[in-house]
Amino acid sequence: MIHRRDLLKLAAATPLLSWAASSVSSDAPAQPDAVIVDQRFRDQLPSLPNHWRQYDIHGDVTLVWYEKLDPSWRRPGFELVGITGADALFVLEQLAWDRGRRVVARSTLREATPYLPALVQWTIAPVHPSVRSKIT
Amino acid sequence: MILPPDLSESQFQQVLQAFRQALGADWVFSSAEDLGPYRDSFSSVWDQDEERRASAAVAPADVEQVQQVVKIAARFGVPLHPISTGKNFGYGGPSPNVHGSVVVDLKRMNRILALDEHRHFALVEPGVSYFDLFREIQQRGLKVWIDCPDPGWGSPLGNALERGIGYTMGHFRDHIGASCGLEAVLPDGELMRTGMGALPGSQSWQEYAYGFGPDPAGLFAQGNFGIVTKMGFRLMPQPEHYTTGLITVANRQDFIPLVEHVNYLSDSFLCGEAVFASPLAALLKQPDFYRLATQKGGPSDQAMNRVARDNQLPSWQVELQFYGPKATAEANWRYAKDRILSAIPGAKAIDGESLPIPLTDQQLQNTAQPYASHIRRHGAMGVPSLGIWKIVRDDGHVGFFPILPRSGEAVFEMQRVMCDGLREFPLPPFFSAVTAPLYWHTFAFQMVFAPSVKRHDSAHNEMVNRAMGRAIEVAAAHGWGDYRAAPLYQDQVSQTYGFGDHALRRFHEQLKDAIDPKGIIAPGRGGVWPKRFRGLRRAT
Repeated sequence: MIHRRDLLKLAAATPLLSWAASSVSSDAPAQPDAVIVDQRFRDQLPSLPNHWRQYDIHGDVTLVWYEKLDPSWRRPGFELVGITGADALFVLEQLAWDRGRRVVARSTLREATPYLPALVQWTIAPVHPSVRSKIT
Repeated sequence: MILPPDLSESQFQQVLQAFRQALGADWVFSSAEDLGPYRDSFSSVWDQDEERRASAAVAPADVEQVQQVVKIAARFGVPLHPISTGKNFGYGGPSPNVHGSVVVDLKRMNRILALDEHRHFALVEPGVSYFDLFREIQQRGLKVWIDCPDPGWGSPLGNALERGIGYTMGHFRDHIGASCGLEAVLPDGELMRTGMGALPGSQSWQEYAYGFGPDPAGLFAQGNFGIVTKMGFRLMPQPEHYTTGLITVANRQDFIPLVEHVNYLSDSFLCGEAVFASPLAALLKQPDFYRLATQKGGPSDQAMNRVARDNQLPSWQVELQFYGPKATAEANWRYAKDRILSAIPGAKAIDGESLPIPLTDQQLQNTAQPYASHIRRHGAMGVPSLGIWKIVRDDGHVGFFPILPRSGEAVFEMQRVMCDGLREFPLPPFFSAVTAPLYWHTFAFQMVFAPSVKRHDSAHNEMVNRAMGRAIEVAAAHGWGDYRAAPLYQDQVSQTYGFGDHALRRFHEQLKDAIDPKGIIAPGRGGVWPKRFRGLRRAT
């Protein structure tokens, strides 16, 4: 598990890590439970630590949400980070609200083009008492 | 701080305290951050005075808590706005008609109460989503299908109450039509069941909708007579096989008999959703053809036929889908081909796929048809999906979906009238000589006007709102009405249904005043305003 001091060292290398490092409290484990990566932007994505649980999408979040996130989001905890199109984040944010979760950090890495939506990095964390885990 | 109408801040604090005592503090939301999810993400009046926002939201866990919420609201005169999953995007999302309403978020009431694969029905609570119902059916290995909209993250109950649609067989695509019995908390907190549900001990609540005497279930669709807490649905038996095919016709006027034949097939329960298109639509990128297809008064048939001939394209096509045992699905396709090709000179048919059900993940992608296909394959298979979001542009859209007769003549008239009526607005050509009708409803066509909104471009949104108003007005002048609207437009749409000096609306409002004298349940929804709030009806 990566802790905050390790993440800060790595942060300079990738914007996603930099953001992830700043989004967690100093005594919390900094490793997210999973990361969503939108492969429509594969040429612009940072390399992520190999041991991070990574789910790839191509814009459509249906399968990842249905098979992985929805079951996990029904239980307390689960911090999710992502680097995706803004359209995918919109869908995930709506679904996260249904499970007491919220986008707690987001930043736009690249504006939309006629061919692709804006590229956004973000984190979704549990905020409602019914799903908040003890360590967050 | 947003307050409910006619309440001071201290009175509102008393209301919130009463809700907290009834539901627990964790399920009463009133901070700006907590209320973010209850704004309409697709609003065309975002952050403007006209945006209707909630003052608070409450999330009851069961029917008893809903009753308590209603009684508290009645005591303080607070308007409530019930939502099931709040995914009604393009039609207002979770936002209320009256600014300051308290949203009653029913997502915690998410039990599937009955699921019967032999009698083909389900009974669900409001917070059950299409995905939830689909997952339960899959996990239990039941041989029944849901019929879901696209995207499928809404709830069967909420979508039916909006009169939403799906993509399988006609009598299941109409979601309120496929509902069977409901339970509702009335404005005085009393619990009522419709149909056979009113008969204690009945075992046929989801098999006979009407019971005895007048059936008020329809009043709850796009209505505000109570909070629906249970609803039954007919389910389609899982078919064994799925067969598709494409039929094309050469000339523009061939669309008229083509529609008539497809109506026959559909009304005879021989085919599922028929997906019409014009192959000529691909030419809209060419300026000359764009001018022709959108010219004032509409192009001549001869001019359109000439373009089709010169480009070696058919004027129209329809994709047909057949469900059933392999033998009958394939026989129905053969019958459709024989019937149409023998009646329309120049008509051609291409066999599509013929697949055993369930389809594989790859087959669900609909990439192997021997022609370009417009079918939403997930929807056609009753499989919920979120993939449709790829078509959303800017910050969402608003929608006007006028109902029109199922005839080629009516399609041509709507193309011409709406194209001319919306010409002044700098928007994509939603209506042109190649616009095809949607066969989503069982017995009616619709067309689409869904301009995008831009959250931070108020000039664009003002133009969109003017265009929406014009679309509603022009359509109504020709006998075409919207089937569903966002709160911002509901009064104008309601105004167009004005037969007999608005006899229908007066009937609804008389009922509303009798059943909900304090006007607390979703005032203004569906254009139905209780006496207390009638002054809020938007002038049109």
